[in-house]
Amino acid sequence: MRMTAPRRTLLGSAAMLAVSALALTGCSGGGAGDDTAAGGDGPEIVVWTDAEREQAIGDAAKAFEEETGATVRLVQKNFEDLRNDFIAQVPTGEGPDITVGAHDWLGALVAAGVVDTIDLGDTASNFEPVALEAMTYDGQLYALPYSLETVALVQNTALVGAEAPATWDDMIQRGLASGAERPFVINTAGETGDGYTMYGLQTSFGAPVFVQDASGSYTSEVGMGGAPGEAFAQWLSTNGQAGYLSTTIDYDINNELFASGKAPYTVQGPWAISSFDGIDVAVNPIPSAGGQTAAPFVGVQGFYLSAQSKNALLATEFLVNYLGTEDAQRALYEADPRIPAYTSLGQEVASDPIIAGFLASAQNGVPMPSIPEMGSVWDLWNAAEAQIISGAEPVSTWNQMITDLQSTLAG
Amino acid sequence: MTVTARGTGRDAARTTPAKKRRWLAEVGWKYPVAALIAFYALFPLVYVLSASLNPRGSLASSNALFSSVDVANYAALSGTSYWTWVGNTLFIGGVASVGAVLMGAAGAYAFSRFRFSGRRASLTGLLIVQMFPQALAFVAIFLMLLTIGEVVPALGINSKLALICVYLGGALGANTFLMYGFFNTIPIEIDESAKIDGATHAQIFWRLIMPLVTPILAVVALLAFIAAFGDYILARIILVSEDNWTLAVGMYQWVSNQLTSRWGLFAAGSVLASIPVLALFLSLQRYIVGGLTQGSVKG
Amino acid sequence: MSVTPPVAPPGAAPTAPAPLPSPRGESHARSFRGIGVGFLVKLVIMAVVNAFGILTILTAVGADSWLLASITAVLLIVADVVYFTRRALPLKYLLPGLIFLFAFQVFIFGYTAYIAFTNYGTGHAGSQAQAVDATLIQGERRVDDSATYAMSVVERLGTYGLAIADDDVVRVGTPDEPLTTVDGEIGASGAPTEVSGWTVVPRAEVLTDPSVQQAAAALRVPLSDDPNDGALRTRDGSTATVYTSTLVWDEQAQTITDTTTGTVYTATDRGTFTSADGESLPTGWYVNVGFENFLRVFTDGALLQPLLSVTGWTFAFAILSVVVSFGLGLLFALIFNDPRVRARKFLRTLFILPYAFPAFMSALLFRGMFNSEFGVINDVFFFGLPINWLGDPVLAKLAVLWVNVWLSYPYWFLVCTGALQALPSDTLEAAQLDGAGRWRSFRSIVLPLLLVSTAPLAISSFAFSFNNFTVIYMFNNGGPAIPGAPYALGSTDILISAIYDISGVSGGAADYGLASALSIVVFVVVGAISALAFRQTRKLEEFA
Repeated sequence: MRMTAPRRTLLGSAAMLAVSALALTGCSGGGAGDDTAAGGDGPEIVVWTDAEREQAIGDAAKAFEEETGATVRLVQKNFEDLRNDFIAQVPTGEGPDITVGAHDWLGALVAAGVVDTIDLGDTASNFEPVALEAMTYDGQLYALPYSLETVALVQNTALVGAEAPATWDDMIQRGLASGAERPFVINTAGETGDGYTMYGLQTSFGAPVFVQDASGSYTSEVGMGGAPGEAFAQWLSTNGQAGYLSTTIDYDINNELFASGKAPYTVQGPWAISSFDGIDVAVNPIPSAGGQTAAPFVGVQGFYLSAQSKNALLATEFLVNYLGTEDAQRALYEADPRIPAYTSLGQEVASDPIIAGFLASAQNGVPMPSIPEMGSVWDLWNAAEAQIISGAEPVSTWNQMITDLQSTLAG
Repeated sequence: MTVTARGTGRDAARTTPAKKRRWLAEVGWKYPVAALIAFYALFPLVYVLSASLNPRGSLASSNALFSSVDVANYAALSGTSYWTWVGNTLFIGGVASVGAVLMGAAGAYAFSRFRFSGRRASLTGLLIVQMFPQALAFVAIFLMLLTIGEVVPALGINSKLALICVYLGGALGANTFLMYGFFNTIPIEIDESAKIDGATHAQIFWRLIMPLVTPILAVVALLAFIAAFGDYILARIILVSEDNWTLAVGMYQWVSNQLTSRWGLFAAGSVLASIPVLALFLSLQRYIVGGLTQGSVKG
Repeated sequence: MSVTPPVAPPGAAPTAPAPLPSPRGESHARSFRGIGVGFLVKLVIMAVVNAFGILTILTAVGADSWLLASITAVLLIVADVVYFTRRALPLKYLLPGLIFLFAFQVFIFGYTAYIAFTNYGTGHAGSQAQAVDATLIQGERRVDDSATYAMSVVERLGTYGLAIADDDVVRVGTPDEPLTTVDGEIGASGAPTEVSGWTVVPRAEVLTDPSVQQAAAALRVPLSDDPNDGALRTRDGSTATVYTSTLVWDEQAQTITDTTTGTVYTATDRGTFTSADGESLPTGWYVNVGFENFLRVFTDGALLQPLLSVTGWTFAFAILSVVVSFGLGLLFALIFNDPRVRARKFLRTLFILPYAFPAFMSALLFRGMFNSEFGVINDVFFFGLPINWLGDPVLAKLAVLWVNVWLSYPYWFLVCTGALQALPSDTLEAAQLDGAGRWRSFRSIVLPLLLVSTAPLAISSFAFSFNNFTVIYMFNNGGPAIPGAPYALGSTDILISAIYDISGVSGGAADYGLASALSIVVFVVVGAISALAFRQTRKLEEFA
């Protein structure tokens, strides 16, 4: 540097000035993340929820806040982020006390050591046994269940009446006869594939994703292989060629086609019913394609308690004695109409033919596996189905998927 | 495009055929090309606009453009936290871009005007360090902010300030280069003469150099703003609570969950969200065109 | 060196840079003397910064966060030295940016490297203590036929106990003293309200005082001297039930024993509790595994094979993205860098629009538009032919490139427009006088000059595309899947999104250690390539 030494060093940094000034304004001007929770003096329990259920949980929380003086802070997240964020943040002490979740996360949550058992005490008898079972891992209950969900055959009564088709072929015949653009539509999540929605048709060939032992618990033995699985793959291919299954269909397109009368039948869950406004629908069990009963996945949603909760008693109190009450369960049902896991409420809403249809489908169903291995299945399984529907060689693609899956599970 | 009509009409009317041919060969053909480019650029955006005006909006199926024109989606935005997110996004983008400009300018000034050991290595280092894929460092970012947050809550998880700091962490690497070349175009004689008049380096920087490099400051401000505006991953990790979300995080959850895909709302939100960026671009345009990479071109 | 001062583009509004100070202008000379306000401003700022820093250090020491305290202390000392010495001029300008760079970029890189040496991930997410806690939780079971007793928390000399109403008898105990019957009163709620020799803690206090609550939640009151009878425990602060623990943790021996089967699970250096016959308990903790993750990257055939093909596409994607967008941007800039074209400002605004639209939104939007059956692209441009954009590997690659080019050409259009206007006009005029044609002068003068000036930007842009997770993920999630590839890798996956898939973050079986190791490897590769490319551009010696 050939500069002459300056006689006086003046401020040499704009950035320093700016940044510290900003830091100051940020601190004073609310730029930092202040909690907007009502500043009660009592302890605070944090509940993670998704957008659909926020309101209903908030209503249940109001009574709780009044009676205990504690504060319930709701943090809204994307439903699919909940599991990973819960696993990542509970060990750091940043996690919530309670989170909404699906029962198939349970294996992963137990493996990560982030969930606590809960004791419903005498109130356990208020819930459907199947829901409690789904939330049970290794003989311990880990969540308060609140809804069952499953997919069923939804049909447009104006086009094909309300009668349930006997088989897949029967349904396709009726669909073709109805004169609609396509006889049937099912979501494959576009090119991604959607094993979940397709599962009822898969089980009608006798090819479950994992083998169940005598007690009904899932083992880690893949059950999709062998002749039944190959038959299902062949069937996917045949119907993909025929155009009855197509990877151009994603969730929105599926609902759009059904709602506009371009397809008389679809397989969907209760959450989609609201997008079928203006048409009369009937809900029936999924027809069998492979001769056996079509058994879709039954999922259970519920509330998990964090293993690192600093307010375990308070959180349990909120779960069992507030969210576990009929009023709160009804509010949750109204916010997000799924089949209630609360028995008396289930009976009450089963007078609705649509809910009754889904309930009938659920009774055919099997619980979605909650073993940690399930997490490794989805991507491979979905992709193989999408490829076969798009025209890949069915049997070899399917078997390759099973080989990959087994090697992934073996670690 | 109206541009074409106006351009040809006026020039063509008063010219001889030969001149007209020449005009067509040199200038006239550029208007149809402009129309093509504009079509390429705008078609998807027109599509979004159409979806935003369709109350049944789903991006996937309604090919009939503007089959219904209804501002219901725009009205519905106020029923969500959309405007809070807009405020957050403008705050974060604004502060991050001002910070990026100041840091980048100071850094570029040092590289351009001073000679010091390790200068060359630092330049290369800066170039490389910005290539670290932050998208996959989310675990590290989360844990680090957690540690900081225990001591300085204002810089912990769920703080907009922390997100700004993470953005600024990449500011030096990303912007120094853009600015460095431009700084080099300011003749060193200016510094020399000011120095002879007794100016300090700080005075030279603030009073002489900064006014001369306004174009590149505008460019960096725009780029930093757009980067902050469009970032999804970092914002999602750091901003936990809904009232701190940016537009990217908030609007994505309207459509990420297929059970609640509100494409119409999403499209309306996107249309409105692009307005601040456009406004910023338009207000800075005169600086920008003629600002970028100006200096690094040397005869 | 020949220099061109910024030229206002013809046709645009005249820019108004500050008038150049005349060299050696007397008037300016005076303005540079005297103690500046600057010095005072500096003092104030440094005072604020120091106050902040010292406050942070004190809080950090109070929170036992020694690392943070020492880092802050070092930074503060450096800042003070730099700004109050007469030397270190360059650092005065570089320091703020460098501090942010080190804190939020270099440090994060270092942290990621640290995670790469651990098995942090699903099943290894916390410390060993947390894993033990979780395991004991899993092993503590409610006795099936246990009654539920109405209960109160009681306190004596700082020790907490549980008092239950057993029929109409009050019984009380602590973790050290099994239940005994004492005199007491049972209130209307059924829970004891008075317990002889103990103070009953009101339930509201149990629930609202965090320390009492945690003490009460941790209480296990044995029913008798025989531990197999189980212990009372409260879950909600008002009732107690009998639990038995089937797992016992022995910290000395680092073992967990299952009392029902007698199996002994020993802590391993892999962060699991494993029995002699290889059975592991579900919850582990994270441990340092050395270079194992890196070794897996290079030795696991199932990993290496797809990664190599993904790497090829990543380079193709990044290079093509830059080349095509640069080409388009340059072409548009050349065409419209012409004062005779009217409404250039308006046109520029139109061309720049894709840039104003947040990238992830555009990617989502294009996903719908490229749908082969319902998408607008086939419908409008391909007469409704069912072109399978998203399902065919080659077409999907084209589609994602198309999207990325659409997203990034405006940037290059801007860059090139600026650069073209900065070209030394004397050189161009000289070339014209020498009779060089338009193409010739473009090839020999304009392009080389442009390339020299834009090379660093191109390298940055390459790196950005190389790591552009957002576009790939939002557009097609890396699909369509490559038949037979493990981890459901897709044909448009680039390294970043492939790592995301492999790490299992989305599938629920996350392996952050492996993902971090992979990202470090990718960073080293792309960094080395960029450094080499950068050395070729001879841009660093501006003036000696």
